[in-house]
Amino acid sequence: MFESWRGKPLEDLLYECRELLEDTSFPTVARWRDGGGKVAGHFQVYFPEEIAHAAGMLPFKVRGAPVEAVRADSLFGSYLCSILKTSLELALSERIRLDLFVTHPICDAARNLAAVWGRNFPHPCQILYLPQNANAAAAPAYLRHEYGRLLRLLEPIAGRRVSDADLRASLAVYNRNRALLRELYRIKRETPWQLAADEAYVLVALGGLLRREEHNQILETALALLERRTNKKQDRIRLVFEGGFCEQPPLDLLRVIARSCYVVDDDLLIGLRWVLEDVPLEGDPLRNLAVAYLENSSYSPVQHDLRKPKEQMLLQRIARSGAEAAIIAAAKMCEPGLEEQAGYAQALEAAGIPYFIGEFEEKMSTFDQMELQLQTFIENILFA
Amino acid sequence: MTYTAGIDVGATYTKAVILSASGAVAATALKNTGFKLGEVSRQVFEAALANAGLHASAITYIVATGFGRHTVAFADTQATDLTASAHGAAWLFPNTRTILDVGGQTMKATRLDPQRRVKSFRLNDKCAAGTGAFLEKTARYMGYTTAEIGALLAASRQPVPISGVCAVFAESEVINQLSLGSAPADIMLGAVVSLVGRSVQLMKRVQMEPEFTLIGGILRYERMARLVREQLQTDVNVPPPDLVQHVGALGAAVLGRRRWEKLAAQPAEPAPRPLAPDAAPAAGA
Repeated sequence: MFESWRGKPLEDLLYECRELLEDTSFPTVARWRDGGGKVAGHFQVYFPEEIAHAAGMLPFKVRGAPVEAVRADSLFGSYLCSILKTSLELALSERIRLDLFVTHPICDAARNLAAVWGRNFPHPCQILYLPQNANAAAAPAYLRHEYGRLLRLLEPIAGRRVSDADLRASLAVYNRNRALLRELYRIKRETPWQLAADEAYVLVALGGLLRREEHNQILETALALLERRTNKKQDRIRLVFEGGFCEQPPLDLLRVIARSCYVVDDDLLIGLRWVLEDVPLEGDPLRNLAVAYLENSSYSPVQHDLRKPKEQMLLQRIARSGAEAAIIAAAKMCEPGLEEQAGYAQALEAAGIPYFIGEFEEKMSTFDQMELQLQTFIENILFA
Repeated sequence: MTYTAGIDVGATYTKAVILSASGAVAATALKNTGFKLGEVSRQVFEAALANAGLHASAITYIVATGFGRHTVAFADTQATDLTASAHGAAWLFPNTRTILDVGGQTMKATRLDPQRRVKSFRLNDKCAAGTGAFLEKTARYMGYTTAEIGALLAASRQPVPISGVCAVFAESEVINQLSLGSAPADIMLGAVVSLVGRSVQLMKRVQMEPEFTLIGGILRYERMARLVREQLQTDVNVPPPDLVQHVGALGAAVLGRRRWEKLAAQPAEPAPRPLAPDAAPAAGA
């Protein structure tokens, strides 16, 4: 679906990947569909893509875009976040054409998206109910059942039965993807001067636009090229970026941040990296996937798991990455994100970790003020 | 002996300062910035090394500042113009509390606390009136080069009023004054008076307090400092002529020295722990 990166040096490969990511006509999705393939669009944050993949579909991460919400603005209030409207706008303006849309009750706005979406398009629209209480003993069985429901929904759209062998093959592809993404984040942690925050983001985000076999090829090539990169190590503050779990900051904002510091870990597109280790291939694949979601996963403000107090998880992320400070960002009008900021700030304050609080919106186009504020924050640490 | 370097990639000129461990300025260098920022920063650094008679290996730490600071690939880190200028000005004049920096394309007023931290600042964002570019344009409208501005100012007797509201509209004002028979030198002085008026307004907005230090390329013109003194009715610090354009680079070198000393005092850089997933603690933990 995406060939222009092949055989190119790292800088050119990254350029091609960036071009694809910023193309709001989503050419890979269009090509997949034009070739007779089916597209399962799923809204942020987490979706078990393996199930759609096993059905032979293209799982496409619907994560908004920096477009004008011309029609969607009339369907949602101005007090709601941008990603909701721009995601809908992508479909209303036919920039993307889907065969199925799945959203999740991660917040009131996302829950309502299903109803609005369903009234405007002929393709099926569903809510996937991930467990509200991840600690409940029945949670794995419940989620296994919910994944079974999703599979039964997908099969007639895909026009095929999905066997356990199909599911295991997809789990294996995604396990490989997880390993490659872990390696990418190892480079971010250990040699952040070789991989800027915006570059890592582009490489991760392509996973939402391509079949994972293809994404794996890109990652394998990029990782090999990164090993040979010889960027100068600069004396920069190591930071964790928190607040990119749903609406995504503009790529230029990440570039601005990357100019001033090393982002050694983050929660950007955490849904694509939600399951942390390999999902076992033996046994019931859907149950394995459900258990991985609950027991072997990252954290975000939209999953409520008493075993993962978010403030502690953030402190852990900072410690494990050797970071000295944190950027606590939130998308404008994002209730879960803004609510979490207060807890994060309190925990960082108590731990004596410097932090920078900021807000973003996907349509932001000027970053001068934020850059100046961020650099002043960094200088206060660097030259103290 | 160890040295640190500051590279200030400004909109009009790129400057370098090499500072010795004892705090002496070992060398400076300056070049037009042009549009190949990465290249010119390297050239200016090498020129400063040559002026100091040093090899690059003698430089322990390099800080880049100015609008093009991110293009200096060989720097160890970057600092904003505000922080670098604050440290450069306070290095030269330790009691500095307010800085007026009039550069080629920006004007900045900064107020510092006693620890040299930036407390407040204002920029003349996105407007040429009140910058070196305004004076350059005024000179050009009258057929003079930038290099001739100093001589023009020295020859002036009485400033001709120039509104200074807009560098673009100033052209018609200059032409109008020339047609009325005003001397180019007096028109030039009028432009400087206008610029000083805007400078003082900017300083008021940061709640200026003494001592005042004036920096930036425009301070090459002695008349500028004299007019600021008159407007403020107090004395102002002006760096020596050979450093007046280099205060940002000097501050960057000072910051480099500070950072280098801090790093040298640390036992070792903290390494990130081995890769470990963000796994949840065990249930009940």
